[in-house]
Amino acid sequence: MRPVLLGALAMMPLRALSAQETAVLYGSMRDSSGQPLRATVRVVNGAAASVADAQGRYQLSVPAGLVIVRVGFLGYRSLDDTLTLAAGDSLERDYRLGPAVQLQPVIVTAAKRSQLLSQVVTSVALVTDTDVARRAVTTVDEAVDKTPGVQFLNGQVNIRGSSGYVQGLGSRVLLLVDGVPANQGDRGGINWDLVPLEDVARVEVVKGAGSVLYGSAALGGVVNVITREIPTGFHARGRVVGGWFADPPHDIWKFRDYRGAQEGLDVTASYGSDVARGSFTAGDWHSDGYREQDRRNHWQTAGKAQWVPSPETHVTASGSWASDQYETPLIWCVQGTCDDRGQAFQPFMIDASGRGAFTRSDKGLLAATVEHRASGNFAWQARGSWGRTHFTDFQSTRDDWGVANRYGVEFRGDVHPRGDRVLTLGTEGTFSDVRTNIFTGDSNPMSNVVRTHDQHEFAAYAEGERQHGRVWLAAGARIDHIDVDGGRLATVLSPRLGVVLPTSRLGVWRASAGRGFRAPSLAERFVSTVVQGIPVVPNPNLDPETAWSFELGNGATLSSAVRTDAALFWAEVYDLIEPRLDSGRIQFRNVTRARLAGLDLALTATPAVAGLTTTVSYMFLHARELAHDTVPERSLAFRPRHLLTLGADYQRGAIGVGGDFRYTSRLDRVEIYETDQRVAGKILDLRASAVWGAWTLRAQLANALNYIYSQVPRTLAPVRTLTATMTWTR
Amino acid sequence: MAGFTLFPAETRVKLTLRPRAAMIAPMRSRVACVAVIGLVAAAGCNEGLSPTPACPRGFVGICGTATVRGTLPDSTQGLFIVAYTTFPESIQALLTFQPLPPPAVLLPPSGDSTLFYTLPLPSGRYEWVLAVWQKQGTLKPDFSNADSLFREAGFYKDAGDTTSHGSGIVVVDGTATDSIDFVIDFDDMHRICTYFPPCP
Repeated sequence: MRPVLLGALAMMPLRALSAQETAVLYGSMRDSSGQPLRATVRVVNGAAASVADAQGRYQLSVPAGLVIVRVGFLGYRSLDDTLTLAAGDSLERDYRLGPAVQLQPVIVTAAKRSQLLSQVVTSVALVTDTDVARRAVTTVDEAVDKTPGVQFLNGQVNIRGSSGYVQGLGSRVLLLVDGVPANQGDRGGINWDLVPLEDVARVEVVKGAGSVLYGSAALGGVVNVITREIPTGFHARGRVVGGWFADPPHDIWKFRDYRGAQEGLDVTASYGSDVARGSFTAGDWHSDGYREQDRRNHWQTAGKAQWVPSPETHVTASGSWASDQYETPLIWCVQGTCDDRGQAFQPFMIDASGRGAFTRSDKGLLAATVEHRASGNFAWQARGSWGRTHFTDFQSTRDDWGVANRYGVEFRGDVHPRGDRVLTLGTEGTFSDVRTNIFTGDSNPMSNVVRTHDQHEFAAYAEGERQHGRVWLAAGARIDHIDVDGGRLATVLSPRLGVVLPTSRLGVWRASAGRGFRAPSLAERFVSTVVQGIPVVPNPNLDPETAWSFELGNGATLSSAVRTDAALFWAEVYDLIEPRLDSGRIQFRNVTRARLAGLDLALTATPAVAGLTTTVSYMFLHARELAHDTVPERSLAFRPRHLLTLGADYQRGAIGVGGDFRYTSRLDRVEIYETDQRVAGKILDLRASAVWGAWTLRAQLANALNYIYSQVPRTLAPVRTLTATMTWTR
Repeated sequence: MAGFTLFPAETRVKLTLRPRAAMIAPMRSRVACVAVIGLVAAAGCNEGLSPTPACPRGFVGICGTATVRGTLPDSTQGLFIVAYTTFPESIQALLTFQPLPPPAVLLPPSGDSTLFYTLPLPSGRYEWVLAVWQKQGTLKPDFSNADSLFREAGFYKDAGDTTSHGSGIVVVDGTATDSIDFVIDFDDMHRICTYFPPCP
């Protein structure tokens, strides 16, 4: 019937349409679970077309009479609708597209270029915008927290147990924002609140050593935060967040006579044409915190501009800035260090020695990128970036401060000499400096001198891939040369080999072996201070940490409803940097040989119940600190042996409900307060959402069981928190 | 082991005075439990941190947590925790415990529970710290009804000890000695004659 109608329409002479001879079609376009789609509706054999907005709403002027409209969206089956409309009619039609055609995700981080997820030689976990939107969270780390194989310890990210807990003194994971390195210039840590969550389109987590393309800090993996594309036309979004923290579950732990709350507001506006686009976001939030001395104020802004002078050339400039003023709950109170009320510890109260500690922290990141496709076989990209951090810790003794810059430049080319070969090559430079009164390198830790230090890194890299039959082979290497204060620190070679083998019955197999490294941060090298009467002295001779990382993985689609990913991983780590006490003083040294091995599993299933999605992920981690000096082999500190995450979401129309449960086994060993009681982590998060036109309400009950625990010694993990988020989108 | 904070706020770096031999506690894997029972049973597995009383400052004696199991008998008159400097050699030495008179312990609720206790003791070395359950009744001066009136309900012992009455040496040195933890099992109490046989 439909082809007949189409044919008839095609043969009909088109009449000149006047305003009186048109009708209006309007309504919404959603997928089978009710999620809005920015789908296209157009008149078959006509020019009229319209794209739905973020809420899936559309409006289209169509010629009066018999008309066929076609609704389509990438990844979904298109739909034809035959209508008869009189001039001046206004007809509402709501469309549901689906079921979705299964498309393979495309990622951009693992090989510094776009590629299908099934062609990547290492494990990659994706956090989509849907995953982000489901959770009423405020920062990127909260959105990434439940990713398979990923665990956060007091804000510090661990990928397969890479970092443990060395907060502030160098992350063993590299953070990228749209591909631009964003770790701090002085401490090497990560500011997760630098990018407004509302601007995040998706996050790619590359597991295992990634230094072959990214150099230092990619020892344990890479997290790439990819911001939203700016759509054409004018769009705006406003978001209001309110939340409440649960009171302590026992009266003897109560520390205030009011209910702690948090609230925030942010707005985003964007405008785009085919040639130029821009967006701007600003917002702030305040939190009373869930424990004593835990208030925080946060302000942030971000902008992005894109210029497309030709289809082959894209110029992007972006910037973000965030400022925090927050009280610092250092460690919780134990008997005798506060009004302990006869308790061995008071997890909601702080040790009185840290009373009044307060911090101001400002950080920003500017980046510009030029991408040009010179031909079908060659494309290049050039980028420059500037990251800056400025912190001041106000304390009862001495205020510590540091101002750091990190400048980066990179030029990269992608060559496709033939369809079965790809070569990515580039060069990169990073220049970091810090002016500070704490990372001075002064031999007298009592002095309050102010000094400046700098670190320069130069690198060149290349990685090629070639297809042999069904097999994809990848090989590459990167060489990094690092100078500190004008003197050579190290030259590090980071090779990687990988292979991908698709099979018809057993999914896609992948294997890789690569080397990762992390140069010591300026903070680790030059810290000079006194802590509780013990001098902390600098160590300008620190060497980079290195690791050999191996992986064997398989990704399979067991049925249209079940997808799995499994990986065996193994990393041998050398010269791990840790603080050591010797002769009455503390110094950071390359001391530890370690081994991290395990199994990383993820399963996503869409059961027969329409709208229901379930996920299960599990990681077994065997993390050992190998015998060295006088230390016998033992568990590597701050690594859980088991990490289990269960998730379920159900969407029916405009209403959605879901939840996650994460089990983290009790840490075998911690490095301080070893005899303190430790428990496993059992965190249940519940969530719900509802959509009314342009409005979306989301609620999350994090740690719904109000499970009281700590994974970093004497640092209370977040308690039950109810967060409600109302978003308006135009 | 001492630990402390170096950059307290922005970096919150914690330096560690290490190493010493690791204290690797045996880890109880609950993965199977959680995987099977899932989200609903998660609530039942809630074993997070809970209030833990501590020995009061300036207190001289011992403190600890008693894990209580079994059913408290209906005929209970009281529950006491006492300490002996040396294990009593005869039934007549039963009253050589400290402190005298013994402070009564608040009776625990029915079912498994934990109770925190404090026991004031003079400085010294104690070989036997135990919980004594007393049946309703009055002790005769010749101790002739002691066997029917009292039961040993649990005692402190060093880890790995397998002796009948336990080998748990506790030293009080002018301050509080904490973490003298043991189990009280009302379903597995022992008559006095168990220690001074024969039992009638």
